[in-house]
Amino acid sequence: MSQLQARFFTENKRYVVDDVPFSIPAGAEVLDLSNVINKLLEAKNASHSKVEFDFLVRGQFLRTSLSTHMETEGISTEDVVEIEYVERITAPEPEECMMHDDWISSVDADAEWILTGSYDKTARIWSVEGKAVMTVAGHTDVVKDVAWVKRDGLTSLLLTASLDQTVLLWEWNSERNKVKARHCCRGHTGSVDTVATDPTGSKVKGGCSRDDYNLFPALSVPTDEADEVEEPADRPRKKQKTQQLGLTRTPLMTLSGHNEAVSSVLWCDSEELCSASWDHTIRVWDVETGGMKTTLTGSKVFNCISYSPLCRRLASGSTDRHIRLWDPRTKDGSLVLLSLTSHTGWVTAVKWAPSHEHQLVSGSLDNLVKLWDTRSCKAPLYDLAAHEDKVFCVDWTESGLMLSGGADNKLYTYRYSACQTDAGA
Amino acid sequence: MEFGAVFRSLTFPQIFNFNKKPAEEEEEEEDEDLSDSEDSVFSGLEDSGSDSEDEEEEGSNDKEDGDDEGLKTGPEESEQVEFYVCVSRVFRVQLFSDVVVPVQDIRNTVGNIPMEWYRDFPHIGYDLDGKKIYKPIRNKDELDEFLDKMENPDYWRTVHDKQTGSDIVLSDEQVELVNRLQRGQFGDVNFNEYQPQVEFFSGDLMVHPVSNRPADKRSFIPSLIEKEKVSKLVHAIKMGWIKPRRQDDDSRGRYYDLWTNEDSSILAKHRMHLPAPKIPLPGHHESYNPPPEYLFTDEERALWEQQDLSDRKFPFVPQRFSSLRQVPAFPRFIHERFERCLDLYLCPRQRKMRVNVNPEDLIPKLPKPKDLQPFPTTQSLVYRGHSGLVRSISVSPSGQWLASGSDDGSVRFWEVRSSRCMKTVQVGGAVRSVAWNPNPSVCLLAVALDSVVLILSPSLADRQVVSSSERLLSGQQEEEPAEGVGPVTWSEGEGEELNQGIRLKIQHPKAVHQVAWHAKGDYLASVMPDHSSHLQVFIHQVSRRRSQNPFRKNKGLVQCVSFHPVRPYFFVATQRSVRIYNLVKQEMTKKLQANSKWISSMAVHPGGDHVVCGSYDCRLSWFDLDLSTKPYKMLRHHKKAVRGVAYHRLYPLFASASDDGSVIVCHGTVYNDLLQNPLIVPVKVLRGHVITHDLGVLDVTFHPTQPWIFSSGSDATIRLFT
Repeated sequence: MSQLQARFFTENKRYVVDDVPFSIPAGAEVLDLSNVINKLLEAKNASHSKVEFDFLVRGQFLRTSLSTHMETEGISTEDVVEIEYVERITAPEPEECMMHDDWISSVDADAEWILTGSYDKTARIWSVEGKAVMTVAGHTDVVKDVAWVKRDGLTSLLLTASLDQTVLLWEWNSERNKVKARHCCRGHTGSVDTVATDPTGSKVKGGCSRDDYNLFPALSVPTDEADEVEEPADRPRKKQKTQQLGLTRTPLMTLSGHNEAVSSVLWCDSEELCSASWDHTIRVWDVETGGMKTTLTGSKVFNCISYSPLCRRLASGSTDRHIRLWDPRTKDGSLVLLSLTSHTGWVTAVKWAPSHEHQLVSGSLDNLVKLWDTRSCKAPLYDLAAHEDKVFCVDWTESGLMLSGGADNKLYTYRYSACQTDAGA
Repeated sequence: MEFGAVFRSLTFPQIFNFNKKPAEEEEEEEDEDLSDSEDSVFSGLEDSGSDSEDEEEEGSNDKEDGDDEGLKTGPEESEQVEFYVCVSRVFRVQLFSDVVVPVQDIRNTVGNIPMEWYRDFPHIGYDLDGKKIYKPIRNKDELDEFLDKMENPDYWRTVHDKQTGSDIVLSDEQVELVNRLQRGQFGDVNFNEYQPQVEFFSGDLMVHPVSNRPADKRSFIPSLIEKEKVSKLVHAIKMGWIKPRRQDDDSRGRYYDLWTNEDSSILAKHRMHLPAPKIPLPGHHESYNPPPEYLFTDEERALWEQQDLSDRKFPFVPQRFSSLRQVPAFPRFIHERFERCLDLYLCPRQRKMRVNVNPEDLIPKLPKPKDLQPFPTTQSLVYRGHSGLVRSISVSPSGQWLASGSDDGSVRFWEVRSSRCMKTVQVGGAVRSVAWNPNPSVCLLAVALDSVVLILSPSLADRQVVSSSERLLSGQQEEEPAEGVGPVTWSEGEGEELNQGIRLKIQHPKAVHQVAWHAKGDYLASVMPDHSSHLQVFIHQVSRRRSQNPFRKNKGLVQCVSFHPVRPYFFVATQRSVRIYNLVKQEMTKKLQANSKWISSMAVHPGGDHVVCGSYDCRLSWFDLDLSTKPYKMLRHHKKAVRGVAYHRLYPLFASASDDGSVIVCHGTVYNDLLQNPLIVPVKVLRGHVITHDLGVLDVTFHPTQPWIFSSGSDATIRLFT
C-alpha cells in the first residue's frame, strides 16, 4: 500500500484546485502534500507564489505521515480520502515586551489599548505598540482583574477589581490622558478576583473568593455588575442600597450557589453569565431571574474559563493541567467534549481566538503559553516560551494580537497574522 | 582342530604320518598285513626276550603298567608293544614295534581284556588259527627273579607282556623313544616343534585378499526361504493365529504393593514421631588441638564471657593441648548429663505444625491508590521568599491564605493560588509555630517565638472579619489587671508592631514550642516543654485575656497539644504517650501508649475519634480511640524522623512529613460504623524538598477544602502539592 487516493478541497477561494482524486504516496507528510498543492496551483495560475499549507483529514490536523495518521484515526485506506487544506498558521511572532514593576495579574486588550492589572496595586494602560500611557492607581491592594467596559470616542470606561474587596469603575480620556474614578462598587466580602462586563457594556460582575455574586447597579453607566465572594452572614446587607456618596454602588443581585472561591466569570451573552469556581463546578446563570441554569461539574478546581461565541464552547483551565472544552447548553452538565493536555502546571488562563472558532491560547504555571487548535488535540500548535516565570493571564484581540503576562513582571505581545486569513474558514 | 590345521600346513611327512596313524592303526587292527609297511619309523624297537618280561614290568611306573595291561593287542610273533601316551589332548600315539620273528606268529586274539580272566587256564588266548596259546612254562621263582634283577644288566629294560606271557627287552631306540614320550616330546628326533610361524590372520591390512574366492551370491540376494517364513508369519498374524504374548495378569498377585494397604493406624502412630534434630559435625574448634585461628583472642574471650548463655556461639572455649594424653577429664560431666536429662524431660512432646502460607496472602487486600482519588500527586507551586528553614505553616480557614513562620525571624502570608507573598511580618526571632485561628469569622494568627506568643491580625480578610477579630482581641481588656500576677503577661502591640498587625503579646516564662487553637477560636494552648516543671502547658482565653495552667503535675516532657474538634477534650502528647483530658470534668480520660520512643507530632481527626502520632523513630501510629489505647496501626514508611502529621478536614486523607525529605500521603477512611476499622492506605510519596542540615520537611498541612497539601522544609521553601 504505497499509494492513496486523495481528493483535496479548501474553503479558501484563492487556493481552490480541481476536484479530482490524486494518487499520492501513503508516506507523504505535510510538506510533501503542501508541495503537491503548490504545484497544482502553479499549473493553474502562473503568478502563484508558494504558500505553506496544513492539512486536515476528517477534521484532524495531519501531523505525522498520512498512512500513520489514518491508521491511528481508523480511517479506511480503500476509499478516496478527503483532505482539506488550509493555509498554514504561521508562528506568532513576539512583538513587544512591556516591563511592569510587579507581577501582572490580568490583562485586557482591545484594538488600541491594553489594560493590565498588576500586583503593585495599580492598573496600567498601554498602547498596542508597547508604550506606557497611563497608570491607574487607587486601589489599596493588589489589582486582580481588569476589564474594558465601553468606549465612546476618546473616553473609555474601565473596571479594576482588587483584593481590597472593591471594584472601581474609571473613566479615561485618551486625549487628555486623564483618568477619573467614577464609581466604587462595594459588597464583596472577600477579594474580588474576577470581573467581567456584559457585551453591551452595561453590567459588571466580579468574581470573588467567596460564595455569591453581586450585581452592582451603576448609575451613570447603565449598570455595572460584579459578582463576588461573600460571607453568607453578610448577604442580606448586600441588598441595601446605600448610595450616600453617589459613588458607591451596591450589588444589583447576588448569585449564590458556589461553595468556594469563584475564580472566573464571563458573559455568554446578554442574558447568561457563566462562572467557574474552586468547588469544581462551572455554573451558568440567568441574569434576569438570578437563577442557576446549568451546572457543569468537573473533578478539579477551575482556574479560568473562556467562551467562544463562534463555536459556542466553554474552555476551562484547571489545576490538573488539562484544558477542557464544554458545551454550556447541555442540560445534564458534566460533559467534556475534548481535553487538551500538554501543560505541566496549573492552567491559569485560557482565551478563545475572537475570530477563529478552533483556536485558543492558554497560559500555565509551567511558564508556557500555548496556542491550540481544537482540531489537533494531541499537541498544541505552538509553544510560546517567552516567560521566565508563571503565566497568569493571556488575551487575544480582534486584531490578531496575543498577550500574556505573568510573574516575571513582563507582558509579552505576539503578532499573530495567520488567523486573519483563516477567519473565513 | 585348530592345532590340526596348523600342522596340516606344515607339510612334514612325519607329521602326516602322525595324523594318519590312528586311522591306519584301526586298519591295522583289522588287517595285520599292513603293519609291516608302517613300521619304518619305529624300526629301532627291538624284540626283547620274553624271559625278562615280568621284571621289566615292575621297573616301569604304575601308570605305564596299567596302560600296558590294557593295550596289548599285537600277535605274539611280531611282539608288538603299543604305548598310548598322551602327547596332547587330541592325539594318542600308539607305539608298537614290529620285529620279524621267524618262528611263528603268536599274536593273541583275545583282545583287550583283563588277562586275569585266563589266570586259571593253562593258556592265555588263541592265535589266529584258533589254537590255544599256552602259557610259557614258569620256571622262574622269586629267587630267580631276584637273581635276575641283581645280575641281569638289561633287567631295567625288560617288560613283561601279559598277553603273551613273555618278557621283552627293549632296545636302545625303544628306550629312547619311551623317554622322549615321557618327557612330552615328539617321537621323531628330527622333528622341530618350534618352526617359525607365519602370521596369516593378522591385524595388518593386506593388499590382496587371502583367498581369491568371489563373494557368495546369497550374501547379496535376499533369502527366499526367509521371505517365505516371514510371509507365513505375517499371514498367521493377520489371520489371528498368532497372538501377542499374553500379559500374565496376576490378579491374585504373586507380586503386590506392600504399602498400599498399609494400616493407617500405624501411620497415625508414627505421625507424632519427631526425628532428632541433626547435630552438626564437630568442627575444628572442638578439636583438642585446634588451629590457632580457632582459639579465642582476649577480646573474643571477654565477649564470650559477657554474652548470655543462649547467645554464645559455642558453649565452650576452644582449648589447645599438645597431645590427647594431656586432655583432662571433663569437669562438667555430671552437670552436662543432668542438663541433657533435663532437656529430655522438659522437651515439649508436641509437634509444632508449620503452616505453609503463601506470602501473597499475608499482604492485606488494599484498594488501589487510583481508586482513592483525589489526593495530591504533583508539586504545583513553590512559595519562595524565606531565608531560613520554615518551621511551621498554617492555612487560613478560607483556604486563601497561607501563613508560615521561619527561622529567619519573619512570618509571611502567601496567596495560595499565585504563590505571592502578600505580607511579611518581622517578629524578631525564630518562629517555632504558627497557627491560624480556625474560626472563619475572625482572622487571627498565633505565632510562637522564643517565650512570646503573638496574636497577629493580618487584615487580609473582609473588613467585617477584621473588625470582629479586633473586637475579640479588645473585648475584656478591663479584666487584665486581675490576671496580671500570674506567670504569664499579656500586653498589647504598640507603635510599629501595631502597623505590622501584632495585636497581642503573651509573655511566657519559658520558650514556647507550639501553639494550638481551639476550634471555636477563643482558646489558645501553648506548650513549653520542660522536664522539671509542671508549667508546661498554658491555655489562654483570648477574649478575656486569661491564662491558666491546667496541670499541676509534671507527667513527662510535653511535645505537643491539641484540642478535640468538637468535644471538650484536650490531647497532650508527651514523649511516649498521649493523654486525653476532659476539660469539663478536669480529669484524665484516656492514656494512649504509642509504641515509639519519642513522639514528635500529633494530629486529631476532624471527627475526633482518631489520633495520628508521628515520632522521631520514623513511625506513624494511628490510634482509634474507641478501639484501644494501643495504636491501631503503625506505619513505618519513613526513613528518618517524622516531623509533622496532618489530617485533612474534609477528605479522608492524612499525611506525614519526615526528615528524609518526603511527604507521605495516606488515605484514611473512618467509618461511622463502630465495627468497621479504619481503612488506611498509603497512596503517594511526595518529594521535592531538598534536605539541608539533615533536616527535610518540617511541617505539613492540608488545604481546608481542596485535596491539596502544603509542606514546608528546611530548604526555606513551602511547596504545594495538588
